[in-house]
Amino acid sequence: MNSMINESSSATTLRDNADVAKVLGRTYSAGFITDIEMTGLPPGLDEGTVRAISAIKGEPEWMTEWRLQAFHHWLTMPQPDWAKVKLDPIDYQAISYYAAPKAKPKSLDEVDPALLETYEKLGVPLHERAALAGVAVDAVFDSVSVGTTFRKQLAEAGVLFCSMSEAIREYPEIVRKYLGSVVPGGDNFFAALNSAVFSDGSFVFIPKGVRCPMELSTYFRINAQNTGQFERTLIVAEEGAHVSYLEGCTAPKRDENQLHAAVVELVALEGAQIKYSTVQNWYPGDENGVGGIYNFVTKRGDCRGDDSKICWTQVETGSAITWKYPSVVLRGDRAVGEFYSVALTHHFQQADTGTKMIHLGKHTKSKIVSKGISAGRSSNSYRGLVKMEKSAEGARNYTQCDSLLIGKKCGAHTFPYMEVKNPTAIVEHEATTSKISDDQMFYCRARGIGEEDAVSMIVDGFCKQVFRELPMEFAVEAKKLLEVSLEGAVG
Amino acid sequence: MNQPVSTPLVESLLEAPLAPSGIAWLDAARQENLAAFAASGLPDTHVEAWKYTALRMLGQRRFVALDMAAPASTVDAASLALPGVDGPRLVFVNGMFRAELSQVGNLPEGLTLQPLSQALAGDAEPLRFSLSRHYREPGDAFARINAARARDGVVLRVAAHVEITRPVHLVFIAAATEMDLAWHARNVIELGEGARLNLVEQHLASGEPTQLATLVSEIEVREGARLQLTVLQNAATSTHLIRHSGLRLQAQAQATLHVLELGGALVRHDLKVELIGDGAQLLTRGVFMPHGRQHIDTQLAIRHQALDTTSDSSWRGVANDRGRGVFRGAIMVAPGADGSDANLSNKNLLLSPSAEIDTKPELEIYADEVKAAHGATVGQLDERSLFYLRSRGIPLAEARALLTAAFCRAVLADLPNEALREHLSTLLVEQLPNT
Repeated sequence: MNSMINESSSATTLRDNADVAKVLGRTYSAGFITDIEMTGLPPGLDEGTVRAISAIKGEPEWMTEWRLQAFHHWLTMPQPDWAKVKLDPIDYQAISYYAAPKAKPKSLDEVDPALLETYEKLGVPLHERAALAGVAVDAVFDSVSVGTTFRKQLAEAGVLFCSMSEAIREYPEIVRKYLGSVVPGGDNFFAALNSAVFSDGSFVFIPKGVRCPMELSTYFRINAQNTGQFERTLIVAEEGAHVSYLEGCTAPKRDENQLHAAVVELVALEGAQIKYSTVQNWYPGDENGVGGIYNFVTKRGDCRGDDSKICWTQVETGSAITWKYPSVVLRGDRAVGEFYSVALTHHFQQADTGTKMIHLGKHTKSKIVSKGISAGRSSNSYRGLVKMEKSAEGARNYTQCDSLLIGKKCGAHTFPYMEVKNPTAIVEHEATTSKISDDQMFYCRARGIGEEDAVSMIVDGFCKQVFRELPMEFAVEAKKLLEVSLEGAVG
Repeated sequence: MNQPVSTPLVESLLEAPLAPSGIAWLDAARQENLAAFAASGLPDTHVEAWKYTALRMLGQRRFVALDMAAPASTVDAASLALPGVDGPRLVFVNGMFRAELSQVGNLPEGLTLQPLSQALAGDAEPLRFSLSRHYREPGDAFARINAARARDGVVLRVAAHVEITRPVHLVFIAAATEMDLAWHARNVIELGEGARLNLVEQHLASGEPTQLATLVSEIEVREGARLQLTVLQNAATSTHLIRHSGLRLQAQAQATLHVLELGGALVRHDLKVELIGDGAQLLTRGVFMPHGRQHIDTQLAIRHQALDTTSDSSWRGVANDRGRGVFRGAIMVAPGADGSDANLSNKNLLLSPSAEIDTKPELEIYADEVKAAHGATVGQLDERSLFYLRSRGIPLAEARALLTAAFCRAVLADLPNEALREHLSTLLVEQLPNT
């Protein structure tokens, strides 16, 4: 015990030393700005903005109407305030709703080298690097999809993987059938805003019986100043289809808060499986809580067919404020929904994240594993809903939420909601909150492991259950991200 | 955002003018609370605390104030006795003290026990702090109307270092009257330093009264004092009962609560416990059994605000027929409340396809030297246990009854008063369906 006290007091003296503090201070390695010419709309939002975005994209009339309907609905909605986050009012008129690189690339070779460099710094496996990594990437740079790799190989398998704007042009009947069918235009405040002004995103369609030959991936990045990013992703897996989709996000360092309000819709028909993995590393603001991304995202999957499965895995280390609840509607009988999450907050970050599992079908199953880690002065909440409707005969849910506190000034919260209307359904929820125990630390320290390494080891172990669910290359990245994010948290 | 909607219920509760009490600060506080109630109206389901309890139907009803109603039917004093509860007794019928039913002679030394109406007639000053309170939470509408309208209730004080050996019995009876009645009662309870008290609060009915009753209790447990509180809520299934209890535990104080929610139409209990002194300890056990069309909502909020405080809560729910059980168990550990140890569990059984359980255990943690855990389950009886019993020749219905009874009885295990425990246990089993 005594040795522990000595340890922490020596760490405090260390931190007082300015040089050491610099080393310990958290670094956001993705915080560079790419200087290329941008075109875009001036800040402001009205019907004209919505029409202009639709016109720039060359969208058909029905799409414009759909956007306008969502926009008019949005005007009637108040910004929700139930999440456990504090934020200044957002001025929706001060945001530019469209930004794109000026020179439109026709193929990957024509992509602005400065842009490719950006991706290179981020370590996105684009172009040749993509071939090595075996990942098909649809990179979204601000609002326009700059290049999609592996189109040909995917096309042979019958998989459609392109940007949303392209999909609206080329596969309007599929888009029209599924867009907004999971998250309707007026679903919630931020989803309505997104429906009105979304600029791009990814579109994936896996036809009946096809197992997608490779893991698909999109890399989002907010670059221009004062822009919001409103991407919209739609993934449809037909009967018996399988797909695994990876999403990564970064943004440069800026002092003002930027808004990111995305919508992701997943549709799984009979026997289909969708695995959606996210590593979210938006700029979290500096150590004084200045700047950072407001990440207000609506993600929802619909297990429409029997025996379908949707699995969400997320690692959330970035953003000043995260507010998202990837959900699954278990409509088909024996459908399975899973949610694995690691959310780490540091400094002044705030996260209110979790999931919703809505059980409608018979013998549907869901599993929720959520690991929250809070450090610094951050606030980290799990908020989840498990709902067993009357029709959910024999449905089953298991939820486990664990929180780890590092430091005295952070908060870790758990708000699970359970609503059960069927007597044959079983719902179980367990949650614990603790700090890294002195015993664990002592054990590591006694074996010559440095304090920071020990913490990172213990945190890694704490998150193992979730990392196991991530695709391999993401798991490595996630582990590294946690290490970087926790720098300077110990003491 | 929410414009107060003036419903028939709100109108009827505001109808009668406030009778002056002759105490200036009290009248001012009552006026303010009444104005606050008029301004806020009833909370709708957008108010988080009322998410699962809709007041739409209740809001359409009208209830007359007590002094406008005819006197209630007679109550038999003998029917009030509870096994193991043989101490002084205070009885209220429709919120008004009834001396002929009560037993307050020969009070033990150090115990003050009198109805609020009498206490106010004497020196009201000691009650000033408790009765001047304002309720500010958006969901506190009923506490506001209670603060404005309550004329009677319990004033109980135990002097420092006094142990009251025999349990004190508080009885609230809803008795049928010609008109639908609204009544409000308010309790102020205080245990001095190192005092010990065993308290039993009982709600029951005479006839089938259709009423709206509110009860606000403020309980202060001072340093090192120990309170054992048992609540038996057995109101008529036509009575709407809304309770608001605030419990404050100072350093080294201990409180043990056992709550049985059996009766009532719409029942709501806001139970807020603040552990404000170092080393304070809380143990809560409860069971709610909505059946028929009952709606029973318990909102337990425990705040750990001092060092080395502990809380242990275990609540069980059994919902049958079209009954709906709502439970919220929120644990909050304030910044600096190191050494807090909080544990909460809520297990529920759903016995019918039309029954519903909504449960929401919450943790809100702002300190790191803590242990906090909660668990909640909703389901049915364990198949394996049923199989075990049946394989030993016990018929299915009986096996079910046995297991359900055991499930509920678990919450009584820590109740030291054996006679009372046996009685309550019998009541629980009687309430169970004969499956």
